[in-house]
Amino acid sequence: MIEIIIVSIATLLLIGGAFFTAIAAIGVIRLPDTYTRLHAASKSSTLGVGMTLLGVFTYFAYFHAEIDSQLLLAIIFLFVSSPVGAHMIARSAFHSDVEPYKLTILNELKRDETGSEIETEESVRLKIERSKDKELDD
Amino acid sequence: MIGFLNIIVIICIIVFALSMLGMVYRVIKGPTLHDRVITLDAFGVTLMGMMSLVSIVLDTTYLLSVIMLIGMIGFIGTVGFAKFLEKGVIIENDRDNNS
Amino acid sequence: MAFQLIINVLLAVLWMFMNADMSVGSFITGYLIGLLAVYLLRNFLPGRFYVKRLYLIIKLVFIFIIELVKANIDVVKIVISPKIDIHPGFYAYPNDLEEDWEVALLSSLITLTPGTVVVAISDDYSVIYIHGLDMDDADEEIATIKSAFENVIKEVAKP
Repeated sequence: MIEIIIVSIATLLLIGGAFFTAIAAIGVIRLPDTYTRLHAASKSSTLGVGMTLLGVFTYFAYFHAEIDSQLLLAIIFLFVSSPVGAHMIARSAFHSDVEPYKLTILNELKRDETGSEIETEESVRLKIERSKDKELDD
Repeated sequence: MIGFLNIIVIICIIVFALSMLGMVYRVIKGPTLHDRVITLDAFGVTLMGMMSLVSIVLDTTYLLSVIMLIGMIGFIGTVGFAKFLEKGVIIENDRDNNS
Repeated sequence: MAFQLIINVLLAVLWMFMNADMSVGSFITGYLIGLLAVYLLRNFLPGRFYVKRLYLIIKLVFIFIIELVKANIDVVKIVISPKIDIHPGFYAYPNDLEEDWEVALLSSLITLTPGTVVVAISDDYSVIYIHGLDMDDADEEIATIKSAFENVIKEVAKP
């Protein structure tokens, strides 16, 4: 009875982990810009591998009666270290003048650092469209 | 029950391997250098997950000590690369600025 | 908080010595009785009663894990849809935390929930610049982060 519960928990965790890792890989291929790929690669892969390691931990704790705490330490290290790495890459990409995606709406950071204007072409176009929709509603 | 879990583990290993192949495509193609660094970081993390699944199939617990070490080395590589791309040196000394 | 913890552990060790019983059960009994003593004398010791702070830290960890899973589902919807139609953007988020470690903790929590990445922090640690994955208006995003994370961090940091 309890074996069925443990096997179902481990199965759910392993399948969830594989799903989120596949989402990370698809996101890195499909998304259009450096900053958006950073979102998919660093966060979805962290959650996916975290769930996989938890599933392996429950498998070894029940079937072989070995509590392996190095897996828990690896999960905690992953959650602490991956946002730091993602932030450093984002900052170095911004200061090396990597082009953001052309549909970006605001760019307040560029305004505060170099004094250039904040409205990009896409945001101006969206504002014109939204004011036209409001006129149609009235 | 254990037979069912072995089938699930083999399916998960196949999914992880296909994800790694997809990331290799982005490493080759990515127009800027930052794309490649991001993808190699995710590649190292995926490698950690795959090693734990392989240790279920091989029925041993000796591989679980290596997982944490690979995570640490990948993190330090990413941070070093990011610092180099931003400033040109990895560790700055005051001598560089004054001379 | 550290001072109250030391007093609690010292009372547990004192209980173990008085009963001449060096086992884990005796340590736990002494710890619980020491907890009761620290609770009764909490007004005379510096700081708040430390159990409340531990409870708030555990609550922060749970809030954070639930936000992580909820926001990852948003990323799944964006990546799977047949046509990608996103409007990313950079926006500035002014915060009013006092210490440096609180700003670092808030930046880590913002970076780890999908949809937002911290790009830069201004020199006096008061404005955080964030890159969002899919946004319409800057003000609602700022309100979401403020209500979910910053209030809980302020509660943890009160001395």
